This record gives sequence, structure tokens and C-alpha cells, in this order.
Amino acid sequence: MTIGGALAGGLIGTLVLTSVMRAANELKLTRMDLPFLLGTAVSGNRVRAKAIGYMLHFCFGLAFALGYYAVFTAIGTAGWALGALFGLLHGVFASTALVNVLLPLVHPRMGSSMTGAGDAPLLEPPGFMLRNYGVQTPLVAIAAHVAYGSIVGGLSALSG
Amino acid sequence: MRRTEPSAGRIDGYAPLRDYAAIGDGRTVALVARDGSIDWLPTPDLDSPTVFAAVLDGERGGRFELVPEAAYQVERRYLPHTNVLETTFHTASGSARVSDALTLPGEGLEPFRELQRRIEGLAGTVRFRWRVEPRLGYGGARMRFGSRFGLPVASSGADAVGVIAIDAGASAEGWSGAFETAHGSSHLLVLSIAHQEPLVFPNRRELDARFERTGEIWRRWTAGRTYDGPWREAVLRSALALKLLVFAPSGAVVAAATTSLPETVGGERNWDYRFSWIRDSAFTLEAFLRLGCPAEARAYFWWLMHTTQLDAPRLRVMYTFGGRRPAPERELPLNGYRGSRPVRIGNAAADQLQLDTYGELMQTAWLYAEAGNVIDPDMSRRLGEFADFVAGNWRTADSGIWEVRSEPRQFTQSKMMCAVALDKAAQLAERDSLPRRHRDHWLREAAAIRDFVETRCYSEERRSYVRFADGEELDAGVLLGLLHGYGDASPRLNSTVEAIANELTDGVLVHRYTGDDGVPGSEGAFLACSFWLVEALARVGRVDEAADRMDELIGLSNDVGLYSEEIGPTGEFLGNLPQGLSHLALISAAAAVGEASA
Repeated sequence: MTIGGALAGGLIGTLVLTSVMRAANELKLTRMDLPFLLGTAVSGNRVRAKAIGYMLHFCFGLAFALGYYAVFTAIGTAGWALGALFGLLHGVFASTALVNVLLPLVHPRMGSSMTGAGDAPLLEPPGFMLRNYGVQTPLVAIAAHVAYGSIVGGLSALSG
Repeated sequence: MRRTEPSAGRIDGYAPLRDYAAIGDGRTVALVARDGSIDWLPTPDLDSPTVFAAVLDGERGGRFELVPEAAYQVERRYLPHTNVLETTFHTASGSARVSDALTLPGEGLEPFRELQRRIEGLAGTVRFRWRVEPRLGYGGARMRFGSRFGLPVASSGADAVGVIAIDAGASAEGWSGAFETAHGSSHLLVLSIAHQEPLVFPNRRELDARFERTGEIWRRWTAGRTYDGPWREAVLRSALALKLLVFAPSGAVVAAATTSLPETVGGERNWDYRFSWIRDSAFTLEAFLRLGCPAEARAYFWWLMHTTQLDAPRLRVMYTFGGRRPAPERELPLNGYRGSRPVRIGNAAADQLQLDTYGELMQTAWLYAEAGNVIDPDMSRRLGEFADFVAGNWRTADSGIWEVRSEPRQFTQSKMMCAVALDKAAQLAERDSLPRRHRDHWLREAAAIRDFVETRCYSEERRSYVRFADGEELDAGVLLGLLHGYGDASPRLNSTVEAIANELTDGVLVHRYTGDDGVPGSEGAFLACSFWLVEALARVGRVDEAADRMDELIGLSNDVGLYSEEIGPTGEFLGNLPQGLSHLALISAAAAVGEASA
């Protein structure tokens, strides 16, 4: 188990996660677009926001892989299944708290349940389990994160 | 806009709908009657279940009463350029003023939602009594009543409300009380509302500061409006009413703040309007642009494009503020306004095919681009898909703008708006805001639609476009097609305006259509159509007539400048209120008359 393996897993896992979400977009299962949500925190220009968002998304993907690696190291084991379990927890946490509650509070262009008539945010809040972006969004988001976790866990275990 | 009138009389416990003023905070709206009772308040959001719904059930709905004990007269207004309501009660012994607001969020720890009622003694003495009857979940939730720090609290599931009474003579249990005002005295009643979090009980200093700040935010917003045409006060009041209907967390604009206020008292035409209709999008964006609200316009367009993404190239008729499909329509066990049952939540019209919505959406995109905004590649691709859908499906019968629940038909207004959709798509393609590859196909289909409308949807006998193909019935909805650019400068435009002005009107008021719509009962005159006729008259050069009608229509608002959906034969308000489309149509008509007069 090496840090390089975890980072490789983070990179490939984020590629897979992004592709799954994008495919779900095209299949009209969800309006969730993580790079767009992240990028619009930095820029109000939609095209620029997407470009910046993809970079940020990959940075976060690598950062989370390091977090996974730290836990794998602490418990002394890693693997595809354990990584998938971490991905499941990660996906549930992202759907219920990270993107649903925390992101609207820090995102300068996103509304939250506390936004009042004095403001005109550009982005609708995701709602509980991200369901404002389509009722199938939680399933898609959790499945994508399970895939991400599995890849990080698997490549961490294979390395070294 | 200040009128002194005798205290309003209730019939069977229900205030006339004309008696209601609206206050709001960008998340929810409360209705305040002239007799001081708050009879409607969904919480935490406008489409949530209610804590007060006495307007739909005087016994079970719940209300917040605050009224002088002696006979009184009422004077009412909004604080200038705000959505803070001032109700002044004059009794034989003195006068006192009640200021109501749903406060706006700021910095610091504050309730999830907060309703403030501030009472000031103006002269002599006035004895008030008050009573809070919270009934969560449209009056149907199982509630627990208790107290925290001696303050009354009611809760159900994830929702809770508490009452703070300062110098208001609260009774031992805290849900009611009585007090007497004197010259210069000040009293305060506050409803603190929580949802999925603990209740917050602010102190007097915080409450005062927040109330002050709320007025200031509203004044600042109004000061930023750039409209400088005729009927400016009415237009600004409409803008403020519209702002109450903007759901701030997402930028969506809701059609009206209520559900199931009847189109006929005692009738069953009672619908839930707490959704955002695509049909209203072009008027909404145009109003925002005319009023100088670029932030709201941009937020609304972004919301519109995000929300319609999953269904593209189909459009739903309406969406929730969060961008979801409305929940299935169901009926609540409430008595309804003066026995007008059923009380419905959700809206079954959501799944209808209404082809006119595509024209509205494309017109909205056109206005957005014309205002200098960029349509990005994602939006462009999706708008192109909508145009392709219209080109391939305009021949399909639909339910039309009025959402009839009878069999789908070839509605004229739907066809007109399909032509508008394809014209606008082609124009957007010319400026590279939409893909160009289907432009010629769109133009050919637009010409085919025109041919259909001109040969089958115009009656030489009625000298008017008719309600549907091969019919003879009139429909004021076709005015909308004409206003959005179908048939500019056509002689048929003039004759249709003339026919509608002659045959669908009752004084200045306009009825929507003649003929069946699949729902029993009748309805009042439709205010939006009345304003559309004003705008159409201005467009065909009958400016003086338009201005006269406008003057009369402005006079038909209630005492604080609000409109419902319809007006009955004796001037009573009917339907949900405040009604966004009525206020949007007012803004558009005022601007059109101003432009035609210039």
C-alpha cells in the first residue's frame, strides 16, 4: 500500500466518477454537475466555471484519495470492497451533508434555505439527497462514489 | 394608496379575499386580513404545509388574531416602497397601528423564519386581544404543545413554532392575551418558526434591529428599480408583489402564494398555484428587465434552463421552486374558502402537453440574449432541441394555455406560440446563439404553422382568430400570441382585438374564453387578460382607449394595490392571490401604453 497507489486511484477514480455523472446527465437521470457547482463558486461565467470546476474536482478527488489512504494505513488494510464501502459512506455524506448543507452555505452564487428576498443567487440549492437535481440523483451520486472508492481502495492495495 | 374603510365583515368566518394583504421574506408569504387576522402562512417555504390556513378552513386551519376589542375602522398601506404592512385601527377611544413583516435574514443567530407584529399606540387608548392558533400540516398534523423558558411552543415532526410576547399581556399559557395601547406605547408579538433545527428566541434589541433592517432592504431594492413610465406607483407595487413571489433560494417565480382560493365561491375550480409555470416565463423576464432587475432576470433564466434540463426536449407545464416535478394532485380534508371544496395540493395539469410553453421559453431566451447575456453552448444545444421538438410536434392537439381538462384540441394560441418559438429560434441561430444547422427547417415549419392558423383558426364571420381550429369560439389567450409577435401589423390583429374588446368583456374586465373546458361551474373575469387587452389596444394604436381602461383596472386593485387571479361581477376577488400573472400583465401593459404614448 503506497501513497502513489492511492493518488493513482484518486486520479482514475475521479475520471470514472466524472464520466458516470456526465453519462447520467446525458441519460437525463440527473442535473447534478459537480465541476459546474464547484467552478461557479469561483466564476460567474458558465464556460470558465466549468473549466475551473473540472480542475477543482480533480484536486478534490486526489485530496479525498489521500484521506482514504490515511484511514487504510491506520487500519492496516485496503482493498476493492473496503474502498467501495468507504465510497458508499462518502457518497451518502456528500448527498446528505457536504453538497446539500455545507456547499450552499459557502458557495457565493448558490441559494440556501436561509436566502431571503434581499438576495438573488444564481444556483438553486441541491435539496436533501440532492433531489432538486432529479429524483434519481442520490442513486447516481452514490453509485459513482462507490466506483471511486473501489478504485482508490483497489489500487492502494495493489501498489507496493 | 391609503384608503379608510369600515372594518371588513366576515361571512361565515371568512374575510373577503379582497381584504387580504401579503407579506413575505422571499421564502414564504403570509396573508393578513383587514381585521388583523393572519389566515395563511405555509412554512418553512411557500409550497410547504401551513401553520395558518384559516382562509381555507375557519375551524381547523389555524390563525393569528390581533384585533381591537371595540368597533373600529381600518386604514391600511404598505410602508412606502416595502412589503411591510401597516394597519391602523381607529376606535372611539383612540388609534393604534400594527406593523406586520416576515423579517429578512441578516447576520447573527436568527429564527429560521420570523413573523413580527409590532403595535404602537397613536392616540387615546385601544384595547387589543390576540390569539395564536398554530395548526401545522394544513391543520392535520398531530401537535405537541409545551413551553420553553415560559414561552409557548408547538411542534410536530421537524417543525416548531414559538410565540414571544413583549408588553402584550400574555395569558398564563401564552397563546393569547390582551393589552391596551396608549399614546407612544409599543408592544410586540413574534412568531419564531423552526424547521429541522432548534427554535431561536431573539431578544428585543435583535428583533428591533431586524425589523428596521427588513424595511431598509425593501426600500433599497425598490430604489434600484428603473421604471419611469406611467402608473409608476402601481407598477412599483406590482414589482414588490412579484418580488414576494420570487423564491429567493432558487430564483424561481411562483404563480401565486396560495392554493385553492376559488374561481367561484362554493365551486370546485380550486387549484394549487404554488408552482412556477413556464407559461409565465417571457412576461417574467421582460418585467425583470423593464424594472431594472438584471440579477433576478439572470437568476430566473439560469433556474429555468437548469430545471428544464431533465425533461428536454419535452417541457412540463410547471415545476416546483426546487426544480422538481410537482407532487401528484390530492385533496385535503379542509372545508375550503366559504365551502369551496375540494382543497387541492399538487397540480394535475403538470403532465399536460401545452405547446404554447415552447414559445414562451424561446421568447424568454430571446429576451435574455437581447439584454446582452450570453447563451452558453449547453443552453444553446438544449434550446435547439426544444425548437426541433416544436418543428416535429406542432400538429399535435394539446391542452392549451388554459389547461383545459377536456379533450386536447388544436388551440390557436398554442399554434401561434409554436410559430413564435420557431421564429425566435431561427433569429437566435442567426446570431449564433443556437445551432444553425436546422434553421431553414425551423423557418419552413414556422411558415407551415402560419398557413394552418390563417386558414383554419381565423373566422371571417367573427372577424377574429378563434379559440381552436375550425371553431367559432373566442379566446382572449390569442392576445398573448399577438403580443409575443405573431402576426405583427396584420389587419387580422386589429379585428381580433376589436372582437375580443366587444364580445369577451364586461366593462374593462375580460373573460378568458367562451365554451367548455371540462370543469363544471363558471368563473370571474380574468385580470391578466384584461391587462393584455390594454396592451393590445396600445399596440394597434388605440392608445387613449388603452389608457382609460388602464386607469379603471388600476382602480380595481384592493386597498394595498394587490390583485388576485379574477374579479367577480360585484368586484369581489376570486382565485389565488397575490397572482403573479396579473401583476406581470399590469407591468407589461403600463410599459406598452407608455411606449405607445411617447
